[in-house]
Amino acid sequence: MIRIEHLSYSFGKQPILNDISLHVAQGSFTALLGPNGCGKTTLLRCIGGLLKPQKGSISLQDRDLRDYNPRQLAQQLSFVRQQASTDFEFTASDLVMMGRNPYQKHLENESQSDRQLVEQCMRQTNTWHLRESFPREMSGGELQRVMIARALAQSTPIMLLDEPTSNLDIAHQFDIMEMLSNICQRQGKTILLVVHDLNLALRYCPQAVLLHNYGIIAHGAIENVLTSNNIRTAFGIESEEVGGTLRFYR
Amino acid sequence: MSIRSLKSRWGFFFWIAFLSLLLAAAMIGCAMVGVIKFSLSEMWTSPVFWQLRAPRIALSVLVGATLSVCGASYQSIFRNPLTDPYILGISSGASLGAAIAIICGLSAYIWGIGICSLATALITVFLIYNIASIGNRLHTTTLLLTGVCITFLITAVVSFLMVLHQDKMESIIFWTMGSFSTASWADVLLLLPICVGGLFVIHYYSKDLNLILAGTETAQSLGVEVEKVKRRLLAVTTLMVAFAVSTCGVIGFVGLVVPHCVRLVLGSDNRKVVPASFLVGALFLLLCDTLARTALMPNELPVGSLTAIVGAPLFIFLLYRNKPRT
Repeated sequence: MIRIEHLSYSFGKQPILNDISLHVAQGSFTALLGPNGCGKTTLLRCIGGLLKPQKGSISLQDRDLRDYNPRQLAQQLSFVRQQASTDFEFTASDLVMMGRNPYQKHLENESQSDRQLVEQCMRQTNTWHLRESFPREMSGGELQRVMIARALAQSTPIMLLDEPTSNLDIAHQFDIMEMLSNICQRQGKTILLVVHDLNLALRYCPQAVLLHNYGIIAHGAIENVLTSNNIRTAFGIESEEVGGTLRFYR
Repeated sequence: MSIRSLKSRWGFFFWIAFLSLLLAAAMIGCAMVGVIKFSLSEMWTSPVFWQLRAPRIALSVLVGATLSVCGASYQSIFRNPLTDPYILGISSGASLGAAIAIICGLSAYIWGIGICSLATALITVFLIYNIASIGNRLHTTTLLLTGVCITFLITAVVSFLMVLHQDKMESIIFWTMGSFSTASWADVLLLLPICVGGLFVIHYYSKDLNLILAGTETAQSLGVEVEKVKRRLLAVTTLMVAFAVSTCGVIGFVGLVVPHCVRLVLGSDNRKVVPASFLVGALFLLLCDTLARTALMPNELPVGSLTAIVGAPLFIFLLYRNKPRT
């Protein structure tokens, strides 16, 4: 599905990612984990085509990322950013309808089937009642669900999410993760997301990738990735697993 | 009828039809008043009307439409509700070209001033875009300050040119103040294709502009070739502004006031904002110019000062409203 080979990215002289190789299987729900500044977001943005890596290659469905034009790429993968706000006013349904853009021609208006799909995606994320609301009238969790609805409306086989649960309370974090887990299982989408909370990842994501020092230190089933050894290497924190939950101490 | 129902499709067609009729009525009404008053029947046979009044009405309508549509697209391109051709310094940039053209004697050719204005306006846009963008982002404060600084710089250069060429001072002053008093059919015919053509180009990209407005990266991940669209639209809008300025000089704040008012009623969707700004802008500048030539008859007020009286307070209001809450 997503195949990354010998990828390197640097910002000026500062390396961010160094010689990363990774294969993400179709239909997997994978958490990207690691300490602040380890390059999780950069990796996600490289996969999303928002950054151009200096070395190495990324391919989606056995086709090099560079061979996709922006429109084709937007039909392959959707990207949910960290909190995006705007001074301009679009209603929630306008924002979700933007997800249909990769399938519309320039002067074409949205079709009946576009509208039906938007409604379906908004109902699925429990945001249909917000369709006439503006982002400033919504809570953080509601806005995040609208952004996920837009990604769903994009009808892509791959979804990338950059910290979809940041700034949310614990109940909303669970809501979002449960929703994503359902989307992955029922619709067979490949989901790759950056998560900060290791326990949240452990609870919902079967797969994980742990980054540290510009490289990957572990990849695979999450129980095998989040071992106390790996956590010590990546975060410098001691940990132990008690009943499926990690406890941390120094 | 609530605001939100006006944003619906039919509500929008109703608005466009209403605004078109209003504009047509206003054009006829404004043509009747002035130093010479016409009745509706005698107007069509009067040479004074056809040679002086009619081109002036037509030009103010076209310039108003051009500046508003450009303002609306600059606000989307720069993702900033405070930008317009005047505040960004692009109008001043065009006026420098006009001054140079006059000094070099190019004003004899109808295209001469336009081409020179376009050249200096393009240089201005290029400078502003590159100074104000840090990495991938455009910073509001830097953008506005750059516009203000460039306006100061260009005003200074133009004053300098005027002192050096005192014989041509009067015709240069005209470009820095903005006026429709010399409007001719040649000006109208020059601006008409550029204005209408530009409107269609911007309308073609209006869905892309919506996505850019919602976020540059969002737009990119939704399949918009952001940089390409931005470059094309900047080129087209700069062409429009430069030729508008080349016919009537610098008139400020039209591109700020009009799209803002349109958004209050119709929302931020550029598929509606762009065509509606075209009509409302035409109407706004037509009324301002009519006021400018009739308020203190037989003297004329500079139309730019009238638009500034409306626009500057609104600009301050917007700046105040967008102030981060502490």
